[in-house]
Parts: sequence; C-alpha cells; structure tokens
Amino acid sequence: MAPAGTRPARCGRPGPRSDNVGRMSPNGYPWPIETTRLDNGLRVVVSPDSSAPVVAVNLWYDVGSRHEPAGRTGFAHLFEHLMFEGSVNVAKTEHMKLVQGAGGSLNATTNPDRTNYFETVPAEHLALALWLEADRMGGLVPALTQETLDNQREVVKNERRQRYDNVPYGDAWLRLLPLLYPPGHPYHHATIGSMDDLNAADLATFQAFHEMYYAPNNAVLTVVGDTDADEVFSLADKYFGGIAARVDIPPAPDGRTPAPLAGPVTETVTADVPAARHYLTYRTHPFGTPAYDVATVLGTVLGSGRGSRLYQRLADGARIAQPDYLGAYGVDLAHAPAPLIITATAQPTVTAERLADGLIEVLDEVARDGVTDGEVDRAKALLTTGWWRQVASFEGRADTLGRYATQFGDPARAGDRLPGWQAVTTEAVNDEAVRLLRPDNRVQLSYLPEGDQ
Amino acid sequence: MTIIAQRPGPSAARPYRFPDVVRRSVAGGEIVAAHLPGHRLAVATLLLDAGAGREPVGREGLAGVLAKALEEGTETRDSAAYALVLEGLGTELSLSADWDSFRVGVQVSTDRLGAAVELLTEAVRTPRLDPSDVERVRDDEATALRMYWANPGPRAEAALRADLFGADQRHGRPMGGDPESVAAVTVADVVDFHSAWFTRPGTLLVAGDLDLIDLDALGVAAFAGATGSPSQPGPPLPVTLRDHRRIILVDRPGAVQSTLRLGHPAPHRAHPDYVPMTLASTVLGGAFTSRLNHLIREVRGYTYGIRSDFGMSRRFGRFAVSSSVQTGVTAPALIDSVGEVSRTQADGVTEEELAVARSWRAGQLSVELQTPPAIASALATLVVHGLPDDYHARLRDELLSATVEQVSAAAATHLQAEGLTLVVEGDAAKIRDELTASGLGELHDAD
Repeated sequence: MAPAGTRPARCGRPGPRSDNVGRMSPNGYPWPIETTRLDNGLRVVVSPDSSAPVVAVNLWYDVGSRHEPAGRTGFAHLFEHLMFEGSVNVAKTEHMKLVQGAGGSLNATTNPDRTNYFETVPAEHLALALWLEADRMGGLVPALTQETLDNQREVVKNERRQRYDNVPYGDAWLRLLPLLYPPGHPYHHATIGSMDDLNAADLATFQAFHEMYYAPNNAVLTVVGDTDADEVFSLADKYFGGIAARVDIPPAPDGRTPAPLAGPVTETVTADVPAARHYLTYRTHPFGTPAYDVATVLGTVLGSGRGSRLYQRLADGARIAQPDYLGAYGVDLAHAPAPLIITATAQPTVTAERLADGLIEVLDEVARDGVTDGEVDRAKALLTTGWWRQVASFEGRADTLGRYATQFGDPARAGDRLPGWQAVTTEAVNDEAVRLLRPDNRVQLSYLPEGDQ
Repeated sequence: MTIIAQRPGPSAARPYRFPDVVRRSVAGGEIVAAHLPGHRLAVATLLLDAGAGREPVGREGLAGVLAKALEEGTETRDSAAYALVLEGLGTELSLSADWDSFRVGVQVSTDRLGAAVELLTEAVRTPRLDPSDVERVRDDEATALRMYWANPGPRAEAALRADLFGADQRHGRPMGGDPESVAAVTVADVVDFHSAWFTRPGTLLVAGDLDLIDLDALGVAAFAGATGSPSQPGPPLPVTLRDHRRIILVDRPGAVQSTLRLGHPAPHRAHPDYVPMTLASTVLGGAFTSRLNHLIREVRGYTYGIRSDFGMSRRFGRFAVSSSVQTGVTAPALIDSVGEVSRTQADGVTEEELAVARSWRAGQLSVELQTPPAIASALATLVVHGLPDDYHARLRDELLSATVEQVSAAAATHLQAEGLTLVVEGDAAKIRDELTASGLGELHDAD
C-alpha cells in the first residue's frame, strides 16, 4: 500500500514483496490464544500481552491474486488500495488520518494467497481500529467512486513502474511465475496484475469484487497486545456483528497438483542490468506441510548466511558469485507447491555460463552426496532465531496468528512451525534434495547485461 | 446489514514508559542496557565512534570495507570456521555504519547471548585483516556498490549532497561512498582505520531480559584489551543556504519514472528546534496523510509515494523531499512539491494537521519501541547524542505539547523553498525542455 524505503534491499530477491510473511503451544507460540466465531462467520483471535501499551490489529481476507480469473488480474491488489479511500462513515483519506492521528502505524499487503490489513495503535484506540476495519468491510461499496478508482489505478501504475519496471532485475518475479505455473493455475499471474485488465474494468466490476470476497466469513480478525479476550470479543461483536455473511463465495481454482514441470525451463533476458544474474527456481510443496519444512531447512542450508553451502562454495571458494547477492529462500505460499528460489549474481569477470555451471554443480553435489548434520544444525539455529524475531513484535504475532487461522483453520498451529523445522533430519533434507533439485523440476531465469553475449 | 456509524473515542490512555535503563562501567567500557522481561530474543550491539564522519575524504566507504573485512576471519579462526560457529548459535553479525557510529550487533536467543558477544568481540578486536582478503572484500564492496548505483536514486542523492555541502567535504560525499571511492581504499587505510577507532572500548548496548543476562560478563568480554579514550566529534557545522533554486539533471536514458530528490542544508540533531522541526516536516511530508503525499499521490496520482524529512546527525543536517514520478509529469510534480514546501514555510501548519502529527509521532514511540532490536536502536540514539535515560518519555511530552506557533515558526526558519536544490534523475531527452521551461530554477547537468 504505502511505499517502502528508497534504498533497495541488497539481496535483490523477487517474490510477492508485499508479503512478510486457545490452547498454549508447547513451543513456537508461548503466549495465550483465545478464539471465537461471530454468528456471521467472522473468526476472532486474541493473544493478550501487556508488555507494551499497544495493540496490533490484523485482518486476513482469504482473497488474493489466485482468485482472479483471466482478464481480471490485479484486482485483489487494487482493492488493497481502494480500502484506504473511504467507506460509508469514513471520508476519503480519513482512514489514514484517524489511525495516524491516534498514533498508530498501518499498512496492507496482497499476495497470491491473501490480502491483509493491519495497524498497531496505542491500546486505548482499539475500538477505533475495529470500527474502521468494520466500516470498510461492510460499507465500502456505496462510497467507491469513479474518481477514486481512476486515481488509485494511476497510483498502482506508478507502483508497478517504481517496483518492477524502473529497477534492474525488478521484473524477475513477474517472469518466474508464468514459467513455474501453467496457464490457468492460480499462481500463473503476478499479484500486481495487468494494467490493461485494470483499465478495462468498470466501477461496477470492482464493486462486485468487494461484495464477493470482503465478507466476515471470509476473514480472520486478530488482535495482539494490551487487551483481553472479553474486550476484543465484545468490540468485535459490536462493530462487525451486523455485517451479513456471504454464502456463495467461490473458491480459487485448485492448484495443489499442477502437471510436473517438464524442465529445465529456461528464459534469458538481455537488459540494462549491471551484471549477469540467475534465478534457479524449483517447485517444492505447499507452505505448512512437513515436506515444506524440509524444503525450508534445505533452502537455509543452501543459501542463508556465510556458512551456507552456496556462500562457501561460490562466494568464498570459487569467488564467482557476488557475496551480497547470493541466496536461497522459499516463498511461503500455501495453496500450491511453493517456489524455492536460488539466486546468484556474477562477479565482474565471470561469465553467465560459468556462474550457472557453478550453481548447478553445487546443487548436483548436494543431491548426490547430501549435506552434513552440522549444516542442518546451523540452518535450524538460524531459522529458530528468525522465528523469535518474527514473533517479537505484536504486529508479527498478529500476522502469524492470522495466517494460521486462515490457512490451517487454527491459530494455535502457529506454534507448530518451529518444532516442525527442528524435527527435520539430515536424512530428510538429503531425500528432499534428491527429489527437488532435478533438472526437470527447474526453472532458470537469467539476466544478461546488454552488450554482452 | 448494519454497521455502526458513530466513531468510537479512546478509552483511558495507558501510561507510557520506556524500559528501565541500566548503565554500568565494566572493564574500561560502558554498558547501556534496557530490561525487557519475558523476551526470548536478546540484542547486543557494540557501538563504536567510527562512522562515516571519521573517514578521510577520498576514502568514502572505508568503514563499509572494514565491516566486510571483520568477517574474513580472526586471529584464531578462519572465515569459514568463524561463520559456522557464529551461525551455529543462530545468529549473524549485523554490521552498519552511519555518519556518527559503527555498529556491530547480534540478535540471538537469550541463553546464547554471552557466546555470541564473545564471538562478536573476537571479530571486532582481533580481525585477521589478511591483505589479500582485505583487497578482495574491497573489490566485492565496490562491485556491490556498482550494483546498488545501477538503481535509480543513489546518483540523484549524491548530486544533491554534493550541491548542498560541497564534494570536497566528507559530508558532501555519499555516506557509504561510491564505487570509485571504495575502489581507492587500500589495505593500509583499513588497518589504520581499525587501529584508530576499533581498539577503543566503545559502548555495549544490551536489550533483553536482564534477569537472565550477566551484564558484567558481557562487558568483560566486549572490552577486554580495549584501550584509548573517546574522541570529541567536533562542533556542529554552519548551515549555509543558497539564495536561489537550481535544478540538477542526472540522465537516466530510458527511465519510465523520474526520481526526485529536493533539498537544502538544515541544522544538526541536537538543535533546540528538533521537536518543532520534526513536526513541521511530518505535516509537510512525514506521514501518509501529509500535504505532499495527499497532493502528489492522492489527488494527482503522479506517484506511488512522496515524503520529506530532516535528516540530522551530530554535526550537520539536511531537509529533503524524495519521490519517483512518472516521466510525463516530472515538471508538474516538481512545481507542486516546491509549492507545498513554500506554502508550509510561508503559512505554517494548522491545528488540525498538527494534532495528527503530534499524536502520531508520540504514539509511534510506544508502537515502535516494542522489540529488543528497536529498543537497542533507541539506546544507540541516547549514547550517540548524549541524551538522558528519560529522553524518550520527555520527547513524548514535548511532542504532545508543541504549539501551532512553535511549529510554524520552525517551518518558517528551517524550510527554504527559495534555496532548494532540485535533483531530477530521469530520461533527459524527454524532460530537459520542460524542466528548463518550468521556471523553477536554472538547469545544470550533473557531472
């Protein structure tokens, strides 16, 4: 929704950039969780913690770009913008003013799986935050004007220019998705969508999109911080309780079992980029499955940190890859086999071919000879710290609980991720490497600088 | 379907408090720590007075080269062994330099903090600095900067900085250097910079559950063998403003957007007007609801975002507006932006706008200062600028009590619409004529 900082991250990773990502869990979520469901189907999750005088409010709507049919790409993301432009009781731009005027931070993101909206406010403004969210869930359509639609279409076009078109390698994610997923697959097109599709649609089409998906029974409301379940349940009922459920929300197409890739699939782009770069991408498993936990550990073994296999071999050893632009990571998508992306950028005197050969050599070696217990332990230690960083803030906890409630039906399953990673064995990583790191499961996107061969 | 029309007011405000700050002198160094009970994650940062401001002119980026060299092995471990033992604890070194400081930090589970600080210290105090490694990481850093400089923005920022402060001044050059200045760094530069600034004790910042952390042991580890005393940073530099606007054009052939960096010099961080200046720039361009973003994004649709701020360090500061706009509206976007700066300077702010800015800035203190990394960063602010332990609580009160008159006066004094340098990085062939015709100032091409 709002722009990020002006300095691009050094790792140059593509991905859905907008993503970050009861009973007490014994491991990964040691805070209380309480849940309820309103009569209209809205699930409400509360995790009290009075260690800071603030509350994080987070709404996950189970609508993302995977729900968009051909010809309507970019709708979910444009809606993320329109949701800040006023609703029946909130004037245009007043949403931002009220939250910031209350001392709060706010934002929203869209990815292939879902759209989320979140704000962190001083705890005394909890009711305001819930009222604002309820007003745009239940009262957006009457307030949506042609002028607002036209203005935000222009903002989104500028977002596309700034993030994807005007930046070296900026369109990598846009190129990878159609290579990884076939036409008709819900992940085939990128969330930013087609500007032609956005231009072609009229106001009524957008209004219908909101009415279809922005329903209480298609959302999870999570509140973390200096409050308690009674207060949140009561406020949620007051502000959201009058919004009608929608009974006929169409599911996204099922993408869980796409036809195998028949790789290696390759695409080479010659562009105004400062150095050759490769993205070797493999389809893995849906986020949340034990197999994806294994792939996550494998990705960390391969490409996180200076002790990773790729760093040791290609940056520190052969010195053919730039150390600051070398990495491997999974994109945590839950509704189809998620991508594992391995990226490397060539040192100035190294050819694209040499770097690609070096990458594949390392991956082949891992698949053939396996990795060590020490490498797996290192990866698990890094993932463990990463987990605690993610849940250190109320905002991070609220997003995590919203994810698990939306995607797995139970926020307490958030506590399972860390033990899931910790349970991964070296043998499982090695088996997974054999299964995944095959040429026929590989998509290779390469950028070559203009003027080079 | 019913929704509640009546907007709710706030309930009783919770008291704001910054965590208890513990200061301790251990083994010749200073520890500044914040108690965050219940957190599993702990942060320790060694803060050294070795920022970009300490670099010699012509060697900009030297601190960044040394940062990389610190990870290339120590007197007792080679780089691979060091990486494996540190990452085996679940952490990595976080290394950064700004104008005023160099920071080396670890974020790790509390029970591993001691071991992580020992490793951090090993890298900082006893790096191997093998000449061939130093040269290699120097080349890597130059390459990485070339990658970064291929993006829109860095060249425009460098042009602005050079115009504001003079390219012969350290602060007139990019904070992190440019590919050429980094390529010029020698092994001797790195070794000398290390022995001049990395052997002094510095300050160890700790944020975490202090009931489970042995601060004295951390201090002994961090300061053992360190020698030397703090060095004075020097007085604030005078603020010299132009009396006319100028446009600097940085050519980026084929760009689909123009990157805008508008600015002028401004006071240093410890200036008494810090709070009203911050609020004035919040109203102008520091929040989503600010004047600039409202007009340029929400009304005109020219951009994905635009912001302004005062960037302030110990000895100098600058006011800047930053945005990217579609190429075809470059001149209108500039005219609107200058117009909003000018209007804010001339007419000040309104109570309605200031009310939002005040509560937003004050509320952000409690919203942002939740986690150990955020608290450690706040501790660094206390140390770098010599602020008292109750600074954040007092800042909150000062923000909330600032008046329209004070903030408007700060806008009138510290914004200079007539003295702005307007840097535009974009497709010169498409925008040169309209920039010349805009009447905003004389057009110069960047070097």
